[in-house]
Amino acid sequence: MIMTDITLTIDGKQVAVPKGTSILQAAITAGITIPHYCWHPGLKAVGNCRMCLVQVEKWPKPVASCVQPVSEGMVVKTSTDEITKIRKSVMEFLLINHPLDCPTCDQAGECRLQDYYMNYDEVPSRFAEEKVSKNKMIDLGANVMLDQERCIACTRCIRVCQEVAGVDELTLANRGDHTMITTFPGKKLSNPYAGNTIDVCPVGALTNKDFRFKKRVWFLERTPSVCPGCSRGCNIEIHHEELKVYRLLPRYNPEVNNYWICDEGRYGYKFINEDRILRPRILEKNISHLVSSDEAVDRLAGLMKGGALDEIGVVANAQETNETLQALADFAKTVLKTRHLYFSRREVENPVSDNFLMTADKNPNQAFVDKLGFRPLSTLKEVRGLLVLNSLSPADMKKVIEKKVPILGIWASNENPAAHSSAVVFPIPTYAEQEGHFTNVRGLTQKITAAYPPRGEARLVSETLEELTERLQTNARSYTQNSYPLSPHL
Amino acid sequence: MTMEFSPENKKKLAEILSRYPTKQAALLPTLWLAQGEFGFISQETMEYVAGLLDISPAHVYGVVTFYTMFHRKPPGKYNLQVCRTLSCALRGSESLLDHLKKKLGIGENETTPDGKFSLCTVECLASCGTAPAMMVNQKYFENLDASKVDEILNGLK
Ligand code: SF4
Ligand code: SF4
Ligand code: FES
Repeated sequence: MIMTDITLTIDGKQVAVPKGTSILQAAITAGITIPHYCWHPGLKAVGNCRMCLVQVEKWPKPVASCVQPVSEGMVVKTSTDEITKIRKSVMEFLLINHPLDCPTCDQAGECRLQDYYMNYDEVPSRFAEEKVSKNKMIDLGANVMLDQERCIACTRCIRVCQEVAGVDELTLANRGDHTMITTFPGKKLSNPYAGNTIDVCPVGALTNKDFRFKKRVWFLERTPSVCPGCSRGCNIEIHHEELKVYRLLPRYNPEVNNYWICDEGRYGYKFINEDRILRPRILEKNISHLVSSDEAVDRLAGLMKGGALDEIGVVANAQETNETLQALADFAKTVLKTRHLYFSRREVENPVSDNFLMTADKNPNQAFVDKLGFRPLSTLKEVRGLLVLNSLSPADMKKVIEKKVPILGIWASNENPAAHSSAVVFPIPTYAEQEGHFTNVRGLTQKITAAYPPRGEARLVSETLEELTERLQTNARSYTQNSYPLSPHL
Repeated sequence: MTMEFSPENKKKLAEILSRYPTKQAALLPTLWLAQGEFGFISQETMEYVAGLLDISPAHVYGVVTFYTMFHRKPPGKYNLQVCRTLSCALRGSESLLDHLKKKLGIGENETTPDGKFSLCTVECLASCGTAPAMMVNQKYFENLDASKVDEILNGLK
């Protein structure tokens, strides 16, 4: 289809946009933002909030710029006195029944009502009657909490369910000032993309049960990253304060996830905050001792020198970055000269997948693991010991126990059975605390950035591998250890 | 008991569907048909209609609750529907409603214990020129005042 361009003028700026573009979108192209509530770039335009009205020269009445397609030679004005007056009126209407909840509302600080009030309204309420009261605490399901009083009936949440999740679960019931968002009576919101309704809600009507009352949003820093929840690699923002992650939000990428993420990914951040391994440790006579990083490297080098290096196997992990995987592959090939290159990965029971975002492979980087030639750990041959990245899946762990192969060293961010049975444990950062890349299911390599420095004494795998290489190549003394106890309950 | 249209109404539904470009577009007449047959629109009816038209029950619920002429509870024998919109309000519909409440001893959306009368308010009956107006079941009564209402009630056996 050939798109003919239409040229128009918005606030004195000439813009050329494809036929069919709305005035609002054309304005965005020209760097002009027209205030809006109901329009969302990822959803069909419905034109119900009237906040986006603009004037078109020679047209008798203002038009809703989100639904009005551009036409040749159109002259649009987005901020005349009349338009400002209209916006004031729209704001006044929207705020008539709006509760004064800002001090306790999670949306405060990222609320369109607050923002536009400061821009266009800023007058005291003239409403002397009693406000309509509605239900302020409805658990819609899927971690979504609804305060019906705060809703401005923009229908974005309804459209997310219809257009993104593909299930029509929400509706506006009743009419007039009694209009309210609801599910069908007795039913719960249950689609795996329900969290996106919270993101698109321009006000505090939909809030996140997981995030509610935990943090004022203006304290949060935002770091661009990529979701490690599955091989899709949706682009996300990590919202954190100091060394704690509070929530993940989708980050727009038209090539991967558009404006959306699935709920599995959204709530999959807990491991960053919990159950972390923060200091190096060694197992001695079945007892774990915290040691310095130097001692840990020494100990591992010693254990490795107890026999031929090429009889040691390495186990990569599809949770780790390209950089880490590459460092391990290089170490295995050039220092150990071993042919035993394996991988393990996160496995879940009955993995959910669909033909939208979610894939059955719940790892962000299987593609790069495959590229480097690591093989499944199920094909494990005779080796003297293993060096493991991150963790082992339950099936892989079982295999290692059956074969009675000791885990000499592990680089892990979180406690896990393989770490419990490893002779030496190095703490490493999670994906949230390091820079690097993941290669997704379509072969797209995407960058992650560090929200904050590695916690505790965590260090990058590549750093300890370098030190290990040095130690292995000098004549440091070697340790032998007779048994490497494996954790009994997995 | 599973809900189903009578054979006659199934034929009517087919005829209704033939008039619209999409099934969803036939929602209002289908609900009207259902209210005619079942007396009111229960949740079960909404789910039945949703199934017939391939739309979600949530959407049907939104439509049913928007239109005041769909009843979600079984109404009494005589359903008094008082217009609550502007023209009627200006011409005294509020006091008319109060009068009815007192007279029947019931509030809005309630039915007398004998099941004879139920009372509700509805949006504009398109009878502004003869306001205030109400409907009793399908019948219009216009230019009302308290004594006219009394007369009407007396006439309903
Ligand atoms: S709950 Fe939020 S997104 Fe949904 S209609 Fe209301 S204001 Fe809009
Ligand atoms: S689809 Fe996959 S990558 Fe995207 S948010 Fe969900 S788990 Fe994360
Ligand atoms: S943004 Fe245009 S009407 Fe809501």
